[in-house]
Amino acid sequence: MKKFLAVVLALAMVAALAACGVSTETSSAPAETPAAETQTPSSEAAPAAETTTTSTGIRLFNGKIEIAEPLNHAAEAYEAATGKHVEVESLGGGVDLQATLKQYYQAGNMPEIFVFEGAPDLANWSGMVVDMADQAWAADTDAAFVDETGAVVGFPYTTEAIGLAYNKSILEKAGVDPASITGPASMKAAFEAIDAKKDELGITAVIGYCANATELYWSTGQHLFGQYLDAGLARDDTTYFDLMMNEGKLDTERFTHFAEMVDLFNQYSDPALLISGNYDMQVSGFAAGKYAFVTQGSWIGSSLTNQYKDQYAAAGNFECGYVPYCFEDGIDTILTNAPSHWAVYKDGNVAEAEEFLNWIAGPEGQAIMVQEAGCVSPFKSCTVVANDPFAGPVSEYAAAGKTSAWHWMGQPSNMAQDGTGAIFQDFAMGTETVESFVEAMASVIPTYCG
Amino acid sequence: MNDNNSSKKILSLVLLLLGAVLMVAALWMDITKTYLVVNMGSVKIALRGLFLVLGALLILAGLYYIPTVLHHRAIINFIFLFPLLFTFAVTVIIPMFVGVFYSFTDWNGVSYTRMVGFENYAAMFKEPAFIWSLLLTVLFVVINMIMVNLVAFLLALLCTTKLKGVGFFRAAYFLPNLIGGIVLGYIWQFIFSNVLTKLLNSPHSALATTNTAFIAIIVVYIWQYAGYIMLIYINGLATVPKDVLEAAQIDGASDMKTLFEIKIPMIAATFTICTFLTLTSAFKQFDVNLALTNGVGTVRNFMGARLSNGTQMIALNIYNTAFARDQYGYAQAKAILFFIILACVSLVQVRISNKKEVEM
Repeated sequence: MKKFLAVVLALAMVAALAACGVSTETSSAPAETPAAETQTPSSEAAPAAETTTTSTGIRLFNGKIEIAEPLNHAAEAYEAATGKHVEVESLGGGVDLQATLKQYYQAGNMPEIFVFEGAPDLANWSGMVVDMADQAWAADTDAAFVDETGAVVGFPYTTEAIGLAYNKSILEKAGVDPASITGPASMKAAFEAIDAKKDELGITAVIGYCANATELYWSTGQHLFGQYLDAGLARDDTTYFDLMMNEGKLDTERFTHFAEMVDLFNQYSDPALLISGNYDMQVSGFAAGKYAFVTQGSWIGSSLTNQYKDQYAAAGNFECGYVPYCFEDGIDTILTNAPSHWAVYKDGNVAEAEEFLNWIAGPEGQAIMVQEAGCVSPFKSCTVVANDPFAGPVSEYAAAGKTSAWHWMGQPSNMAQDGTGAIFQDFAMGTETVESFVEAMASVIPTYCG
Repeated sequence: MNDNNSSKKILSLVLLLLGAVLMVAALWMDITKTYLVVNMGSVKIALRGLFLVLGALLILAGLYYIPTVLHHRAIINFIFLFPLLFTFAVTVIIPMFVGVFYSFTDWNGVSYTRMVGFENYAAMFKEPAFIWSLLLTVLFVVINMIMVNLVAFLLALLCTTKLKGVGFFRAAYFLPNLIGGIVLGYIWQFIFSNVLTKLLNSPHSALATTNTAFIAIIVVYIWQYAGYIMLIYINGLATVPKDVLEAAQIDGASDMKTLFEIKIPMIAATFTICTFLTLTSAFKQFDVNLALTNGVGTVRNFMGARLSNGTQMIALNIYNTAFARDQYGYAQAKAILFFIILACVSLVQVRISNKKEVEM
């Protein structure tokens, strides 16, 4: 009798265990999984079960945590309008998005729409994403991600710009006209003029430039380095990018000019920020009006108006603008691009995913994306302008056709983190001169490219 | 008796057969991707998992009813061990074999296109950055094995004296170990980047140059780990029999002599445990490394290359290879080498330490 009881008890326990697992089995089309999968029901996947039990929901894997709230609003509005559910899953702030996605893939838990940054990310998913060339939004934008076969695989949800951002009120007080900064000589003159009136203006340093390789390798090794690759060039001009990627070479003359500009930044940056600082220090410093310039892109706009709104208000809610990183005379463009794109997974609920993307690209969706999320719309038909200090200047450059692309996104994904970022830091510390900085970069790049 | 036996035989056979059928059905559903779903009101139940679990249970029950006196005990043992063995296999043994398999492919985390043989293993010895990480880790382990044990033992001696407030100090020294490595890394990053830079009036953070950054990691590691090892030493010291100490005192042994001739030999086993613990954990150092420097540091010329990963330990190197470079197969090969090194070192170390204890 006792034995029988034990068997019944064991059965009951296992049945309970099985009940936890069964709901994961109902997802409409689990991905084909490699050998690593086991036969046991995975309790880890159980939390996601509620979304997969309804066959009509879709999931969006968002990599920009800053716009998590607005995206949730958009999903709610979409559900209210169409009755179709969209689950927004937002990750970011140091989470390795592609690694998380790979885990989802292994677990047969892929979202319908997921984020990727540039060609290196997309290479992981080749053959698994949908060509959306036939979609209505594709004709309405120049910012879609087109892969090497010509397929439109990336939906652009925002545009970001990288230029040398300035604080308009400081420049006005210092008597420097931003429009006069058109080349290395005028940039130097402007820096000197502001530096001379530093105390009078109440600023800490002329420029908030941070080369801390542990924290900001992406700022120096990708965004700033991207200026060398693209500044002043037409959007489809890949001269310097191809030279680097195919032959592992830098154009010495152009790069030396670039290095001289970085040297200028090293000289006029806040010493406390330059090597030992971090992103928060840099952005909050700019928001508080401590720096006339800052080497960050348009994404800091929402930080000024949200995260640092107290400092920003105390500094007088100053207007912002962009000058090009004109390390050579004639460079008059800032770099704009969609920082990442959304791809649609081919084994998911493709029809509903595409329908949602079209809604986002449409007027209701864009209203939320622009006004609430502070995105600069990549769609030509969009007329809404964001309430963001950088939205205006970016639109002006875009309207004037003075923009270049972000080809740095195609550079090997670890090059900045493992290679070039540290060299920018060495340069900032003064252990490298302009010449040796150029040499060091030229010696490291071939280990990643070419 | 005979009747009972034959009925048991039939029961056992039926159970085994039914179980096998259910499991095969589940496997068939998995392979052909046909999913039978039963609607129960609002809840949908897929049958695949249920079949699999029920099938396994029926087979176990069938095994239990096999009419044998000779092997009954063995079968019972197996049934009771099964859940543990199964879990162990699924979480440790199978992944390990899968991991070894992946190290021979060009897996990128999603799919692999070809088998590369020993290419991954050959490539890592031609990669200066990896060799550097390996050597740096060995250096880190040697320094820490000595320093952590030294500091921890001294702290333990301090905390076993009859000073006032010893309880407080014990807790205080142990506290850093309760803080996660990442948080600790960021706290110390602030100390090195801001506080020390200002105090010493140095032009830049100690974390910006390779040598000082490496020392910084060692300091933080000792700070984090010494308290933990100290507790083990305190425990060891408490087990030294009072009568032996008393006898030594009566014989007129000085404190130093008592320490070196009696206490330390008496707790040789504790030394084994502590060296082992510090050795393996220093080898696997990851979180402080990640948070403090993320591996950044310039090495001007190593094997003819300029390196930017001067403070990157091997665990972080493996992590970056997989997640920043998308070379999962290559990272897996590195991880297997790492595993082999760690296993060898640990085995040798335990063997040596055990010998010492016997001699004592």
